[in-house]
Amino acid sequence: MPEPLPEPLPEPSSQIGPLLELSGIDKTFGPVQAVRGLSLSVPAGEFVTVVGPSGCGKSTLFNMVAGLDEPDPGGVLRFKGRGCHAQELLGRVSFMPQRDLLLPWRNVIDNAILANEIEGADRKAARAKALRMLPEFGLAGFEAQYPHQLSGGMRQRVALMRTFLFERELMLLDEPFGALDALTRSMMQRWLLDVWERHRRTVLFITHDVDEAIFLGDRVLVMTARPGAVKLALPVNLPRPRSAELVTSPEFIAIKREILAAIEEESMKSFMSSGQAAGKAA
Amino acid sequence: MSASLSAPAMRATGVWRHTAPVLLGLGRLVLGLAIAAAVWEGAVLAFGIRPEYLPRLSAILSTIAATPEAYAAGFLRTLLETLLGFAAGVLVGVLNGVLFLRAPVLRDMLFPIFVVSQTIPVIAFGALVVLWFGNTLLAKAVIAFYLTFFPVTVNTLLGLQSVDPRQVALLRSFGANGRQILFRLLLPTALPQIFVALRLGSSLSLVGAIVGEWFGDTTGLGVILLQAMYTEQVTVMWAAILCAALLGTGFYALVSLAERWLVFWGAEQ
Repeated sequence: MPEPLPEPLPEPSSQIGPLLELSGIDKTFGPVQAVRGLSLSVPAGEFVTVVGPSGCGKSTLFNMVAGLDEPDPGGVLRFKGRGCHAQELLGRVSFMPQRDLLLPWRNVIDNAILANEIEGADRKAARAKALRMLPEFGLAGFEAQYPHQLSGGMRQRVALMRTFLFERELMLLDEPFGALDALTRSMMQRWLLDVWERHRRTVLFITHDVDEAIFLGDRVLVMTARPGAVKLALPVNLPRPRSAELVTSPEFIAIKREILAAIEEESMKSFMSSGQAAGKAA
Repeated sequence: MSASLSAPAMRATGVWRHTAPVLLGLGRLVLGLAIAAAVWEGAVLAFGIRPEYLPRLSAILSTIAATPEAYAAGFLRTLLETLLGFAAGVLVGVLNGVLFLRAPVLRDMLFPIFVVSQTIPVIAFGALVVLWFGNTLLAKAVIAFYLTFFPVTVNTLLGLQSVDPRQVALLRSFGANGRQILFRLLLPTALPQIFVALRLGSSLSLVGAIVGEWFGDTTGLGVILLQAMYTEQVTVMWAAILCAALLGTGFYALVSLAERWLVFWGAEQ
């Protein structure tokens, strides 16, 4: 059967050096320094998860990598080995924000192809491709439904499908399962790994759930309290494919202990500093 | 065999499930109208109300039936003025909303002037418009426009501003340009708000057209109304009022129907 749409993705192995590299990035919003001296690098094909205390600048990091916010001058941002402004990344990474942000007047298929439509793809071809992808996302038969007719988990899968269909080397997922209940969530995690192993995109994944970060990631980055920076980068040498039982294995627990200790330390710091600020104000 | 039989049957029940409430609603509406007509007719007869105050409904209907061409011509003329003014008002209102969103400077400069323009009573304005445009169809359409464009402007702007900034950020991250964001996100988001103004505008534009006709014309429901008032033909006056009610209700119903069809997701917001 002829394939109407060629896969435009280059082989991840053909990349030389990391796909994304940040070093010494600062970002200030008025009086608040959200991120200071942030450095990280993401090799092609890797699944990197980011955890940290709330308000640690995770979303600031994402908005910069998505091209929505420009970092303060001074830092270095490199994409595919080439230094660039954050703005140049608009349309070059596929970004999935915390909420599904589906358009209520578009049905499942038309929501899924929104990004393709914006980049000027042929609507008919994009729809056909999305239609073939539906079963993989557990949405077979739902192509003509509208968002208000779907459950939270399904809406999230439509949003993920939109992100996958926008074929870019780097995928940014910002707490995609944050709003789901625990059961749906662990199901979606396994499902995401399954899909990821078949498509092998580079993923940067934000979460505040340590289990999720270890379960999904090749590497876990722990952020410091505000101003955010990378406190700890821990490789997760657990075999793939990963099953649900993994979370109770001693190796998993050992990694979890180390990450929790780091997060605890940072949470205390931010707790203390906010306490001091409150003390000063009083 | 049984499956091939049951499938159309199921589809038929599905269609019935959709149309049944509509038919039921229509039936109740007709019933309500019939009762109102009967009460009107009966009250005039029972209390001996003199026709100067309130003629019988049947008398009004037979007045229309006696010279239907005059009423049809008036109806069509007023309809045309209303539609022209409404369409222009909607177009300008939506453009204003988009313009004000993109250029806050313009909004700050022009919006107060718009507000002032709306505080001028339409009657005062009507004389000016006739002075400028003469006794033409355009003059009436302009008054209808004048009453329509402002609510549409305000609601378009409100609707456009109600968009979730995260939604805009998402589209920007896909590389969308301003035009794509406007047509794929902002305008559809504003549509429910715009329709609130369209329903308002559908009634206001009719008011504008009828008031416009009072400043001088030869055809139109407003003209019939005014002439009947001068000649004290109460039945004719009521006939014109009924025609205007029919026009206004029909137009409002059409706009509401379009709204229900276009803003089908309204329940979510």
